Amino acid sequence: MEEEEIQKAVVAYLRKKGFTNTEHALQEEQNRVSFSSNSDHSVSRLENGPVRYSDGYSKLRLWAYSSLDLYKHELLRVLFPVYIHCFMDLVAGGHVHEARIFFHTFREDHESMHLRDLQKLEGILSPLHLEEIELSRSFRQNKFKIKMCEYSYDLLLQYLQKTQSFTMRGVINEHIDFEVSPGQPTLSSGDADFVTIEGRKNDLARQINQKEIHWGLLEDSLEQHLERPVSDSEKAESANKEMNPEDNKKRPLDGGKQGIPVKMVKKDKLVSMVGKNVRSETSAVSVAPRVKPELTLPATLVEVEQAILEDLRSRVQLNNLALPSISFYTFINTCNRLNCSSISQDGSLVAGGFSDSSLKVWDISTIGQLVKTSSLQGEKESAKNENFPATEERRKPYTLFHGHSGPVYSTTFSPFGEFLLSSSSDSTIRLWSTKLNTNLVCYKGHNYPVWDVQFSPVGHYFASSSHDRTARIWSMERIQPLRIMAGHLSDVDCVQWHANCNYIATGSSDKTVRLWDVQSGECVRIFIGHRSMILSLAMSPDGRYMASGDEDGTIMMWDLSSGRCVSPLVGHSSCVWTLAFSCEGTLLASGSADCTVKLWDVTASTRASRMESKSSSSNRLRLLKALPTKSTPVYTLQFSRRNLLFAAGALSKCS
Amino acid sequence: MSIVPKETIEVIAQSIGIANLSSDVALALAPDVEYRLREIMQEAIKCMRHSKRTVLTAEDVNSALSLRNVEPIYGFASGDPLRFKRAVGHKDLFYIDDRDVDFKEVIDAPLPKAPLDTAVVAHWLAIEGVQPAIPENTQVEAIVAPSENKKSENSKEDGLLVDLKLPVKHVLSRELQLYFDKITELTVTRPESILFKEALVSLAADSGIHPLVPYFSYFIADEVARSLNDLPILFALMRVVRSLLQNPHIHIEPYLHQLMPSIITCVVAKRLGSKITDNHWELRDFSANLAASVCKRYGHVYHNLQSRLTKTLINAFLDPSKALTQHYGAIEGLAALGTSVVRLLVLPNLEPYLQLLEPEMQLEKQKNEMKRKEAWRVYGALLRAAGKCLYDRLKLFPGLLSPPRHPVWRINERVATSQSNKRMSSTNLSMQQPPLKKVAADGPTGALQPIAMTANLQGAPDGFPARSSGTGVGQPSTSGQVPMKTTGGRQEKGGSVAPKGSAVLAQAWKEDLDAGHLLASLFQSFGEGVFSFIQPVEMSFFI
Repeated sequence: MEEEEIQKAVVAYLRKKGFTNTEHALQEEQNRVSFSSNSDHSVSRLENGPVRYSDGYSKLRLWAYSSLDLYKHELLRVLFPVYIHCFMDLVAGGHVHEARIFFHTFREDHESMHLRDLQKLEGILSPLHLEEIELSRSFRQNKFKIKMCEYSYDLLLQYLQKTQSFTMRGVINEHIDFEVSPGQPTLSSGDADFVTIEGRKNDLARQINQKEIHWGLLEDSLEQHLERPVSDSEKAESANKEMNPEDNKKRPLDGGKQGIPVKMVKKDKLVSMVGKNVRSETSAVSVAPRVKPELTLPATLVEVEQAILEDLRSRVQLNNLALPSISFYTFINTCNRLNCSSISQDGSLVAGGFSDSSLKVWDISTIGQLVKTSSLQGEKESAKNENFPATEERRKPYTLFHGHSGPVYSTTFSPFGEFLLSSSSDSTIRLWSTKLNTNLVCYKGHNYPVWDVQFSPVGHYFASSSHDRTARIWSMERIQPLRIMAGHLSDVDCVQWHANCNYIATGSSDKTVRLWDVQSGECVRIFIGHRSMILSLAMSPDGRYMASGDEDGTIMMWDLSSGRCVSPLVGHSSCVWTLAFSCEGTLLASGSADCTVKLWDVTASTRASRMESKSSSSNRLRLLKALPTKSTPVYTLQFSRRNLLFAAGALSKCS
Repeated sequence: MSIVPKETIEVIAQSIGIANLSSDVALALAPDVEYRLREIMQEAIKCMRHSKRTVLTAEDVNSALSLRNVEPIYGFASGDPLRFKRAVGHKDLFYIDDRDVDFKEVIDAPLPKAPLDTAVVAHWLAIEGVQPAIPENTQVEAIVAPSENKKSENSKEDGLLVDLKLPVKHVLSRELQLYFDKITELTVTRPESILFKEALVSLAADSGIHPLVPYFSYFIADEVARSLNDLPILFALMRVVRSLLQNPHIHIEPYLHQLMPSIITCVVAKRLGSKITDNHWELRDFSANLAASVCKRYGHVYHNLQSRLTKTLINAFLDPSKALTQHYGAIEGLAALGTSVVRLLVLPNLEPYLQLLEPEMQLEKQKNEMKRKEAWRVYGALLRAAGKCLYDRLKLFPGLLSPPRHPVWRINERVATSQSNKRMSSTNLSMQQPPLKKVAADGPTGALQPIAMTANLQGAPDGFPARSSGTGVGQPSTSGQVPMKTTGGRQEKGGSVAPKGSAVLAQAWKEDLDAGHLLASLFQSFGEGVFSFIQPVEMSFFI
């Protein structure tokens, strides 16, 4: 009995250090010894090799499933890590065939929660692969962390002692960290978060998420110009509410003075960080602190500014009762070759990137006669005045841009529509002028296909993300990147700017979203929770929240300051290609491969979460409306400054 | 152990010129091949996602290969999905059909049409959150939207209901306007043309015409009122209504209130068409069926729909001042609503009505041939309605008719009721009951039967003089079925003799009596014309 334990310890030690040969030798010798010494004992010993894993696991599984209902879901959490590690131990031990059988026998149990992981691990067929696949490496190196109540933990210990299953005990000791909490078991049985998070990464994330982040809006923004005349009455109104009076004074001050001292801003920030819990009633927009830009921002032209102010003045107020109008641009006859599309801020230009390396831009004002309604027309006219001399005559309804030598994966318009960026699998990013209809710059820097490119909200700067696992910040005037953000463990699939231009968010195939400081290039937040690759990101206009959509159709809302998920939104059945916040941040629109545009109520969810405790996150963000299209997956969504929603997608008949 | 069998590795090795690959090597290579395959596929899926697709193509695999600096596989790049064929004799073996193409064929073939260029079209997916019903959008269920709202929040319902209707008017596209103009023009000018038939098919099947429904219903109402003496147009209009009702994509309930009066007009109008030769009877039948189908389909939504319709019709039927054509329409309309309506509303009034009708039908009393013809028409309609009703009843009680067949067969008299005739039928009635009751009672108490039978036999003569004294004939418009009353009384008598506990039995018996008596009274009214409706039952009896 004791001897066996010592042996176990030795084996575990050897395995930990990676001395597999020694381990084998030891085992073999042991087998021989036991064979010679005791014949009937040897039978079980021989079996012990690979079989003990599946035996031990199936017993543990049976026990966990038949345990008390109250503690069951906590005990079931133990199964997945044990399963994974049994499998990997088997593979590492060279019992590949047995590992396969073991894997397939119990696969169904975990399919619902961890399908993607299983698909990846399925390919592991030799000990070498264990080292090669990142997922398995991180599983091997890190410990699972499982939260459990005291009693469940006791139950588990009792079981392990009673059954004498040393294999299981070894696996559990080696790979699982228990976070035992006194009291009752947690109620949320469906939450997989308790299991999937790995120890070290989690610690890292926690450490990173401690960093301070200034999510406030830029001071001296155009919205404030508009607010200024209104703010007097608003102030009176908001003063009636129980609002932090200090804050209230500060805000109009911010707007009033142009060059406000930095100290003041700092203080404001501090107040906002500390006083967040105190201010629970007021809406996010009115209390959003102002921050200084870390980048030197380009100056906006006076007439452009005028146009924007005009737009802001005639903006439609949206909320859960007043839903937006949606103008849908359908690409037809694309033969499945359209990879991406984007719409300019005012909706007058639509760009499509194709897999035949071409990039096409349509001017909606020349084709969409049907769309000409009062609201849209006004906007278009203003756009025309600034962008188009309207002298050109075109034979084709679109402008064709040639230049890339591989499929175009992403396009983005500059905020005022005069520039267009495109990224391609030829690892370049190209800048095009929509006025001159020509290529201006080719930015080379990435080594692999560039999946996504996004202009910053003020223009001039842009961010790109690539298969080479980096995201980069560029400015239009330099052909070298200004910053390289490295840290993701897999492809960086999408990138998005924060409203104040000081941060960018990146979503990756490693299922995390990261927030990076543009100035320092550091990662300031890691958001863990998605179960598959992240395809789309959106930042709320008040800079406080971020939404991310993944391959499975899940959308998550994150609070940037805490790094926590506010609420997961379940509703889409397929990839969420695009997300967009309405201009005042009350609505979130999502477009998906399941051919629907869905509108979600942001205020309801965030208000609720602020009033309640933040830890419990249920599906609170309400689905306001699902608008199906006729078999057109929605590729892109764009709110205009007047809160008209533009959507685009390619009609696909075979879907 | 790996999904790639070692034989595959050996075959691949042979294909690149390694003939003597040892099986150990193949065995060792197999897992790695599988791993690489999975790796490539994982990359390919990434490429697929970034191309915003959900179906993996050969192109994706090629770009994944080029990501890994591997030469792509040529020859499979095609926009279409590959067509695999099953190998004969193998369940899981597929291959790509790669036909030999003759150069000559390719060269001689006419140039294929140039593919259409990519284009962008714009439409409104939603206007203030409400999807307009235009062909570009999937169909919206107009009813669903408000009910959903009701579930989620009551407060915003008002605002949304208003919203619902605005865009419908708003969004009548030019195509729809053209369509509407064309259809209305066809209806009014060329209702006989083949084109109009096509138009009807289109109306019945097209999914995008929902916004036009209010216009159509207005047009129909307007046009029916205007062209009452133009039979072809009326007919065409009714056909349009039928097509609209058939269309599964449109939501016609809100417009029924506008359509129903037009339909009913076509059923019970005094004059339809201008010429004598116009076959307005057919139009009445057609419209009556339409009205009935509307009732059947939307009766559960609008509870008073059928009651209002029947009220209108029965008023027309019972008003002796109305023209015979109107009576005809009313009878047809009621008959189309089903046999129970006929049984409850028409049959009680049958006898008095026939008395009214009779003089009109006889040559000597009604000199106007036109009027006489009309009267006969009405008579035919009545007969049909009553007969159907009877047939329906008899289906419920198939054994009912066996005994009366013979006596009835002999009787050969006219509508004019005579004492003897009545007696005859009445005896029929009493004769047929015992066996029937045997079926119904089926043994609660054997002793009950003879008592009941005697009661019945007594009852028959009892009831008989009462009826011949004229009460049954005299009160047409009292609430229930007059003939039934007498039977009812009889039955009560029987019931009082029998033990009280047999309520169920009594009920069954009453039904029998109803049916039996129905036949009798109908026979009184129509003579042997009625028996054509019994035929199938008799047949079944014979078989």
